[in-house]
Amino acid sequence: MMLRSNDAIRRMAVWSILLVAAAISVDGVLHAALAQNPFGGSRAVPDQQVGGIIGWILAKQSQFYRAMSSTIRAAKNDGSAVWTLLGISFAYGIFHAAGPGHGKAVISSYLVANEETARRGIVLSFASALAQALVAVVIVGIGAWLLNVTAKTMCGAERVIEIASYGLIAAFGARLVWLKGGGFFRALSASRASHAQLAPALATKAAHHQAAAHDYDGVAHLHARTVHHHDAHPHHSHDHHHHDGHCDHCGHAHGPEPSELAGPGGWKRGLAAVLAVGVRPCSGAILVLVFALAQGLFWAGAAATFVMGLGTAITVAAIATLAVSAKSVARRLAAGRDGGGAVIMRGMEFAAAGLVLLLGAGLLLGYVAAERVTCF
Amino acid sequence: MSSLRYGIGLLTLMAALLVAPLVASAHPHVWVKAASELIYAPDGTVTGVRHTWTFDDMFSTYALQGIETKTKGVYTREELAPLAQTNVDSLKEFGFFSFAKADGKKQKFNEPTDYYLEYKDAALVLHFVLPFRTPFKSRQMQLEIFDPSYFVDFQLQDKDPIKLVNAPAACTMAIERPTDGSAAAKKLGEDNFLDGSNANFGAMFANKVTVNCP
Repeated sequence: MMLRSNDAIRRMAVWSILLVAAAISVDGVLHAALAQNPFGGSRAVPDQQVGGIIGWILAKQSQFYRAMSSTIRAAKNDGSAVWTLLGISFAYGIFHAAGPGHGKAVISSYLVANEETARRGIVLSFASALAQALVAVVIVGIGAWLLNVTAKTMCGAERVIEIASYGLIAAFGARLVWLKGGGFFRALSASRASHAQLAPALATKAAHHQAAAHDYDGVAHLHARTVHHHDAHPHHSHDHHHHDGHCDHCGHAHGPEPSELAGPGGWKRGLAAVLAVGVRPCSGAILVLVFALAQGLFWAGAAATFVMGLGTAITVAAIATLAVSAKSVARRLAAGRDGGGAVIMRGMEFAAAGLVLLLGAGLLLGYVAAERVTCF
Repeated sequence: MSSLRYGIGLLTLMAALLVAPLVASAHPHVWVKAASELIYAPDGTVTGVRHTWTFDDMFSTYALQGIETKTKGVYTREELAPLAQTNVDSLKEFGFFSFAKADGKKQKFNEPTDYYLEYKDAALVLHFVLPFRTPFKSRQMQLEIFDPSYFVDFQLQDKDPIKLVNAPAACTMAIERPTDGSAAAKKLGEDNFLDGSNANFGAMFANKVTVNCP
């Protein structure tokens, strides 16, 4: 009785959160899609809802960003202005990452899709932000400083890098979807099977598994299934396979072994996320660097860019930690449910993987608006 | 199957959390002080808009990167011609950030003409004419200058930002401008957005000119 009402309350809470969340995300996706083509059709202005907090973040960003050019000019004559510049850049980085950006969405989704720790989330956030800063410094350092190319040429290079980055995100997402899809469908069929009665269960289980195997006919999956069924087999550990458990208590969520997490393969996977997100430099950083170069203060611009990256990393790390914590809360909630736990967890991972793919594809095809490259 | 529903709920929540940051618009990276002229033919039809856009310090420096000049720091109109070409070519993608309506009906622009850049007071100034595809006569026309994605912040120049050239004498003009980008964001942000009313984000920063010709 007690359990029941708890369950009902919990379900109601989840549903109400879900309703709000769904409204926000549908609204957001629609607006992002429409915003891409504001000049065609009858919709000249995308009406975007901006909350007070985001409005405030935007105002702060603008303020810090505008202060940068005057500070760099001042630094020409007054060396101490460089410290002001670094302070402004740091603040700008923090606020900038709190605003729009696909980077943190990709990293957070990746963390949710995999059994990642908050610690690794933080490391990945810092690595990708610093990679981003490095790319900006290298582009301007080589392009503008060494080769003295025009802004148009640099912008062309940025666009190529941008497309490469989006392509990488999409490919990365596709791989995650492929891997996590297997886990999800395995968990789903296992859960269905455990719901059935004992005698018919065997038959249904076999049928479901067969069906699933046909849908997902990758060699790795068939192989995984073999492991799944016969515990006598040694646990065959692909670097990417997190089996959801052994069939003697089907449906329970088993995280990967800690050894799997810390393994070198794990970091390699993380590196792919860093690369996919980090290769695309921030438009603001490029502008600041070129401006600093023209004032003969390239080093100050480079320092500002890295400090900006540091600020960005802090915000992204906070969001990533939030994502990881949300997942562990979900895991705890799911653990209390018989049978469904594995389905929920694997489903969540599958959906997060799907989100990475959607983001990558959306960015690539222009359905998701990203920060524009300054090309005019 | 309630566990499945429960799972889907959590998933959607996660997705919303992750997608939400993407929804917000960018903050401006480029600032433009705009002055524009509405050009009328002798018979009273509007033929086009002549824009004069002055870019901010940082963007001007960025755009001038790598452009060779005879005299250091001096850029002639000829030396800037390729950049002006790039400007108008790229602006096409954004509809030249100009949106016109005649008696409520959207008007299209042709390719820009008479475009050139000058370098004045450490800033680039872009001049160009946007001819209307079909010149029109209307009781009321509206011209808005803004970037819906707010990557570029447009502000009308302080003094005489809009001029009517050869307009019929009876025409009157009204200008609406956003006071200051950040101030508007703050004011509108708190008052308008939290109560759930729809608001046009880019349009919040729009500069709007209305001309009435009875």
